[in-house]
This record gives sequence, C-alpha cells and structure tokens, in this order.
Amino acid sequence: MKFDRQLLINFDWPLLGIVLTICLIGVMNIYSTGFSLTAAKAPLYLKQIQWIILGLLFMLITLSIDHRILVQYAYVIHGVAIVSLIFVIFYGYTSHGSQRWLAFGGFSFQPSELIKLTLILALARYFSDHGTQSRYSIKDLLTPIFILLVPFVLVVRQPDLGTALMLLIIFISMILFVGIRIKDLLIAGSAGLLLVPLAWFFFKDYQKERILTFFDPERDPLGSGYHIIQSMIAIGSGGFLGKGFLKGTQTQLKFLPEQQTDFVFSVFAEEWGFIGGVVLMILFLSLILWGFKIAQYSRDLSGTLIAYGITIMIFWGVFINIGMVLGILPVVGIPLPFLSYGGSSVVVLMMGIGLLINISMRRFVMQP
Amino acid sequence: MMGMFGRLNGHDTADFRKRFQRLFVIVLIAIAILTLRLAYLQVFKGDEYKLRSENNSVRLRKIAPLRGLIMDTNRQVIVGNQAAFDLVYVPSRVVDIQRIIEQVEAFYEKRGLSLNNDSQLTGKTRPFMPVRLEKNITMAKLAYVETHALDLPGVVVEVAPVRKYSGGEMMSHVIGYTGEISKEELEKRDDDEMGPGDIIGKSGIEKFLNEYLAGKSGAEQVEVNVTGKVVKALGHIAPLSGHNVVLTIDFELQKAAWEALDGKRGTAVVMDPRDGSILALVSTPSFDPNLFNSGISKRDWDRLSKDPLYPMENRAVSGQYPPGSTYKVVVAAAALAEGLITPDTRFFCNGSFELGNRSFRCWQRHGHGWVDLHRALVESCDVYFYNIGKMLGVDKLAEYARSFGFGELSGIDLPREKPGLVPSKAWKLAKRKEPWQLGETISVSIGQGYNLVTPVQLANAFSALANGGALWRPRIVKQIEASDGRIVKVFPPEKKSVLPVSPEYIEMIRQGLWGVVNEKGGTGSALRRPEADVAGKTGTSQVVGLPQGEAARRAKILSGRFKDHALFACFAPYKHPEIAVAVIVEHAGGGGAVAAPVARQIVDAYFHLKASRAAPKAPVAQNVVIERAGQ
Repeated sequence: MKFDRQLLINFDWPLLGIVLTICLIGVMNIYSTGFSLTAAKAPLYLKQIQWIILGLLFMLITLSIDHRILVQYAYVIHGVAIVSLIFVIFYGYTSHGSQRWLAFGGFSFQPSELIKLTLILALARYFSDHGTQSRYSIKDLLTPIFILLVPFVLVVRQPDLGTALMLLIIFISMILFVGIRIKDLLIAGSAGLLLVPLAWFFFKDYQKERILTFFDPERDPLGSGYHIIQSMIAIGSGGFLGKGFLKGTQTQLKFLPEQQTDFVFSVFAEEWGFIGGVVLMILFLSLILWGFKIAQYSRDLSGTLIAYGITIMIFWGVFINIGMVLGILPVVGIPLPFLSYGGSSVVVLMMGIGLLINISMRRFVMQP
Repeated sequence: MMGMFGRLNGHDTADFRKRFQRLFVIVLIAIAILTLRLAYLQVFKGDEYKLRSENNSVRLRKIAPLRGLIMDTNRQVIVGNQAAFDLVYVPSRVVDIQRIIEQVEAFYEKRGLSLNNDSQLTGKTRPFMPVRLEKNITMAKLAYVETHALDLPGVVVEVAPVRKYSGGEMMSHVIGYTGEISKEELEKRDDDEMGPGDIIGKSGIEKFLNEYLAGKSGAEQVEVNVTGKVVKALGHIAPLSGHNVVLTIDFELQKAAWEALDGKRGTAVVMDPRDGSILALVSTPSFDPNLFNSGISKRDWDRLSKDPLYPMENRAVSGQYPPGSTYKVVVAAAALAEGLITPDTRFFCNGSFELGNRSFRCWQRHGHGWVDLHRALVESCDVYFYNIGKMLGVDKLAEYARSFGFGELSGIDLPREKPGLVPSKAWKLAKRKEPWQLGETISVSIGQGYNLVTPVQLANAFSALANGGALWRPRIVKQIEASDGRIVKVFPPEKKSVLPVSPEYIEMIRQGLWGVVNEKGGTGSALRRPEADVAGKTGTSQVVGLPQGEAARRAKILSGRFKDHALFACFAPYKHPEIAVAVIVEHAGGGGAVAAPVARQIVDAYFHLKASRAAPKAPVAQNVVIERAGQ
C-alpha cells in the first residue's frame, strides 16, 4: 500500500493532540498516586509512559492499514482474539482472583481488552455488509449475537465482569445505532431479562457474590461501600480549586483505594478541584464529539461504524467510571480511558485512536 | 468514482445526520450530568467534605476471630478463650507515638499503675491506624481508663479474646502457646489472610494446626468520634471461628504423669500400643503458656529463654538421650531374628568382657555367671549383650534399630521433633571422618556410645513389642471439627511398619520384660503390682562422654550434677497391653531406682482411671445442656 502525500496532509493532528493531552494528565496523576511510596521498584508512572509509547507504535500500524482491509478480515481478526481468550483459560495467570492475563516474556497482556476492538470490527463488517436502510429484526441479528456471545461467555468466566459488561454495552450501542425494530427490541430486552436467572445456575458462588455486589454495593460495605465513601470525600474535599498537585490528603494518606486504576479520577479531582475536573470533562467531550464527527463524515459505512463503535466505547468508559467514583453509578471495574493505569487498556485504546485517524484521513480519498 | 470499496449500500452521510444529532445531545447530557454532580460535590458540598477529609472518621477495623478449642480425648476442653482488654490508641491526626505513651504513663502514675509495654513503638502515627499500647490490661486499669476516657483523647479499650490454657504448665509442651505474628512469619506467608497484630500459634499443637485453629478475621467499617470511640457501625463482616481440635491426650492421665514427674527434670510418654495414640506427654521443667497472653514481658521471656534447664524445650520429642539398657531389647531381637542365638544360648559373665587389651565391665561387678536370654534381660547382664552385639556388628544392629523406629522422625504431630541417632560404619566415616572401632560396637550394644533416642521413639518401640510387632505413627490429634460440630478432618491411626522379627521371638523378649518386673533379681521391681501385669526394662545412660553440644554441657555444669539419666520403658497389661510408657529422668541415677517409680505412678493412675470410668456414674452437666438444647 503506497503511503500517499494526501494522507499526510489529512492527518488528524487535533485528535492526536487531545489524546496526548489526556495521556499526559494521566501520567502526572499516576505520578501523584505513587508519590508517597518510598521504595517502589519501577515507578508506575514510568511504566505508564512505556505503555503509551508502545501504544503509539501500535497506533502507527492501525492507522497505516486501510480500514477497509481490516474490515475485510474482521472475522478472522475477531477469531484470533477469541482464540487468545481461550488460551487464557489454559495458560493465563491469575491476579486479584481473576484469570485474565497472558504473559509474553516480560510483558503481560489482557486479551479481553483487545476483544472490545475486534468486536467493533466484526460488527462493523456485518452491518456494513447488510446496510442500514431498514431496521433489523432479531432473526437478522443472530450472527451479531453469536459474534458477541462467544467472547462474552469467555470473559465472564475469567471472571472479568467489568469487561463483559463493556462488551454488552458496545453491542447494544451498535444495534441501536444501526436500528432495530421496536417490537424486536422489546422482545430481545425481555428475553435478556429472562435469561439472567438461567445463567445464574452456571455461576460459581463467588461469581454470584460479585454480581450481587455489583447491583448492591451495600452487600460489601467494607469493599466497594468503603471505596465509594472515601472516593466522595476525596472528590468533595478538593473543592473549587483543588488541594494542589501531590497535596491530596485522601490520596497521599492512602484512604483512597485503587488509586491508580478505578479511582484515578478521584485523585485528580482532589488535587485539581472543580476547575481541573471541568477541563478534563471538556477534553473528553471534545474527543468524543470529534470521534462522532469522524464517524459521520466517513467515506463508507464500515468506517462510520468503526469510528462510532470506538467513540461510543470511550464514551461509556468515561461515563461509567466517573459516574461510579462520583457515587451515582454502582461500583464496577471499568477503567477510565487513558487515565487509569493499565498496559493492555492503554495499548488497545491507542490502537482504537489509530483507527479513528485512519478513517479520518481517508475520508477524501476516493480511490484505493 | 465507485471502486471496489466505494459507497456500498448507498451510504450517505446525510443518512446519519439525524442519528448523530441525537448522539450529540445524549453525550452532552451525560457529560453535563457528571459535571453537575462534580459541582455538587466540590462546590456546594466542598466545605463539608473538606472537613470530613481533615478528620476522616470512617475506618476499617479488623475483628479477630475466636481460635478453635482444644479438647482431650474425652472432649474435655483444655484450651479455650477468655475475654481480655487491650489499650489502643486511635490517632485522629499525625502525632508522635512516644508522646502518647508518655501521656498514658503519666496518667497511670496518678494511681500508682505502670504501663506494661515491651514493644518498641517509635515514630509517627498514621491517622486512624490504631496502635496497641498495652495488651491484656488488668481490671484496675480497665476501670480507671473507662471512667477517665476524656482525659486521654484517642485512647480506647478494645475487647480481644486471649487463650485460656486450663492445663497450664502440665500441658504446655503439647499445646504450645500463641503470640502476635512476627515480621519474619508474616514475610514467609504469601496470602493476605494474616496481617500485623494477628495471633498465630508459636509452638506445639497451636503451631502445628494453626491453619485450622486460627479462623478468619472479620471486619467492621465504623465511624469514630474525635476520641476514637465508635459512634456508628457502617458495615460488618462476621469473623469465622477457628476449628476445634480433639487430641488423643487423656487430660486426667496427663495430670497424673505430670504429678509423677513433679520436682524432677525429665519426660514421660504414654502411648496406646493398639493404635499409636499418645495418651500423655509430659516434659519438665515447664512454663505457663498463659504468660504469653499479654505479650510476654521481657523479664519473663529472658527468664524462660535463658534458663539453663530449657523449660521451653519439649524433651519428649526434642530431647535426645542415650537409651542405655532399654536398647537391649533391640539387640536381643536382632540376634534372634538373625539366627545368631537361640533362647538357650548361654554366655558366661564374670563381671567383665575383654576385647584386645580393653576391658568392658558389667554393671554387676561380681558377674552373673552363666546367663541365657531370659536371665540376661531380667538382670540386664551387660556381658551377654557385649557378646551378641559383637556377633551382630554395628551395621546389622543399626538396621534393626531403624526397624524399631529409631534414628528417624516418628512423625508425631508436634513441631521440632528430633530424629535421634543410630550409628553405623558409614555414618562415622561421613560425620567423624574416622573408621568404626570394634570397641564402639560393644558400647552401642548396651545403648551407650553414639546412640541417641527420643522418649517418643522409645515409647513407640516398646509399644511395638507390646502389640506383637506393629510400629504405629504416634498420633496426638484425633480429629478436627468445625465450630458447628461438623468433622473437618480425621487423623486415623497409621501403621508404619511391622518389625522384621517373628512373633515367637517377640514373645520371648516380652517374657523377659515381664521377668524384669516380676521375677526375683529383676531390675524393675518397682513396677511389681499385685496383678503382676507390667513388663518393662530399666536403663541407665551414662552422662560422662555425652556427645552433646555446648548447651547440654552448660546445663550439666550449672546443675552441679554429673549423675546418669534414669530410663524406664514398659507396657501393661502384659496379656493385652493398653499402654506403653517411657520415662526419662535426667541426672537422677539408676533407672530402676528413679525412673521405674515414676512409671509405676503413671501405670497405677491409668488403671485407677479405667476402673473409676467403668463404674456407673451420675449424668454429667454437659449432657443436661445438650438435652435442653434439643427440646
């Protein structure tokens, strides 16, 4: 594939700029969480920088291959990702009670993160093949449901309920976007509700407990209940201007749990206050709206669907995570995109951004 | 312009305009909700949360579980729990802990009390991380602190269960004791179950079965006021009590064995030869495990750990002694099994045995005259055993000694067991870099020289003779039960091996042992009961030349005694043995004179207990309770 000058001219610098700004805030924030640790082996913020650089390399790959080729091989790519999920069952290692990592040399990787992206690709392939002129019925959706269900079941049994939930949300968002008949939507919705008690029998006790806690954090007042109280104290005490970088007492005194991962926004809001919070909201809002703009102006349907899928994934990550730490949504293990520490998550997000840039810069190119 | 990737399916951006307009609105609303919530928390409620963060009053508190009970074979509780009170400081901000300790000391001073704090607390506190200032405080202190709570902000009394060892000193070597987990113990564990301040078994059964006894901590999320007092419980996870342990020990027999050894230094092991169950296991001098409840004071710890008599050591499993003449049963069994002698083979004892230019004496200077196997055992003739020991050679002897369970861990469920020592040619070459001397074989054949046995091994070997040849694993734990009575784990009797000696030879040795006690001239006449139902063997092990280390030498010198160790091993009743007993009294003299009377008391106590238990008895209180609960 020749790399046309046209593409370089159309390169989406503003998007990359927004993403890197958010990443920078994330690194700074992780630095703050590790600040009071005296003898950490490799500081977490440095590792996060390494992951971002690795992510940028992967981004180069995803933006240089025409997305239409990726769509063409979408099922194969999705299949490979599913195989890696199956690998986790046999070779994966367990951490925090969940078996979801694969180790390659010194690296460890979570295939369940990658599956989000391949799910979007596979669904984009299916719906671009079938068009969006008429609304879909359940019968038309059997293949997409299969595309979702296989990885969904594998992720649930790890168990990684946060990622499973994310897969389901991405799927529903895609369906609603391409259009489904109202009657079929109602049927599917009630069928889904009926399936829940059936699935219940297949869960292990501790998984049931987790799911119950998910819906009712009061079940685990010492775990998530405690987390939420401390998170709200952290955010609230930041006030309008914040306590200042490295000065958040909730963070530095370790009252706040899971600082580098799920509750990373609380750290930020404590130290940078409402002002900082609003700036971050504006950055995320710009990123999401920019993503939708790329989707809207894509030259082909598959590009629209991919860009939409990636953007909606980021949107839900932001909304659920921040809603959770602000105490308006239940505690689920969904990380805040670009801010939470996590190698696989950062790399996959960067690949997603690569796809967005890919679609963005090809919107004017008519000929392959 | 339609290429192969062209606008398939009539794709047109206008198609999606409406959908994207809706999406924009949804996203704007969602972000607006988050921003409004953020404004609510930070701007409207900011001051309130700032206050809460400054005196963050919500904290997690661990609730220690109750350790499991330890019961004897008759389900009598010998280790339970009792309430105790700790003095705890809950800082509301960063302070120097030393200042708080000084304040508490000054506060105590007013009533003439003193702070019993041995841990070296230094440095700054972290807000709401409780610091234990004093463990297991007295009632006087408790009353004083509780009535003057306002004088000491942040200092609170917390209830913490401690162990109640009703057996006290007499059981401490079996039961062990508990204490706060040490930094090293914490680092060795890779689970999250244990944290600093948690209680862990440090020795004996408490250590051996810690995983079962410990239970699981609960936790509590509480809101505390400025003095550290809990004002509101926000959540609670109940702790899980530890499992209960049922031992094979018979508490009453244990008591009798302890009393029999009272004032002496030594050990006694009573075993059931039918299944290897340990019925009593005593080691003296001893220590009071209750001392460790309040975090043992430095003075007490030094007194215990530096005592030259080693009260902390469980002599029954860690003490290694030359077996003396008790070893002759092994030598006799080996010679019979190897076909080197028959019961009628006789040797002449003129009081000494010549080997080259060396002379080995019999304990009976005037000699025993012509002796056969039976007389040799009854009168413990050394010369007889010098002869057959020489015929066997040290390696054959070692082979049979091992088959009796000597020289290797018995596998008893107690920590720090020692294997003893069975010398052989290869052993000497490897360890001493010298070839074996024939003279050493002569010493070994009467249980002197390099031989070392533990009292548990000795009891086990005699138990094997008693039951006709089966070597059991000494069993001290019968079963483990959950607190609701469900059986968690059963420790069944385990037959380790069978002696490589035919039953009729074992019977000949048994007859000899009966003669030791019941025949004229026998060395164990102290056990001669009217029922004539005990069979046993005396032993006296020479202390001079003991191949033990610095510790033993120092103990010996400090004790000012150079006397021999007295040993006695026996079983009863002779026909169908129910107990095998091994007694060792250190630096006390001859086995027949010192150890046998101790064994006599234990055997008498056993039969007395048996008779009194067989008699019909009044219903005990415990049953009444159970019946009531069932109604």
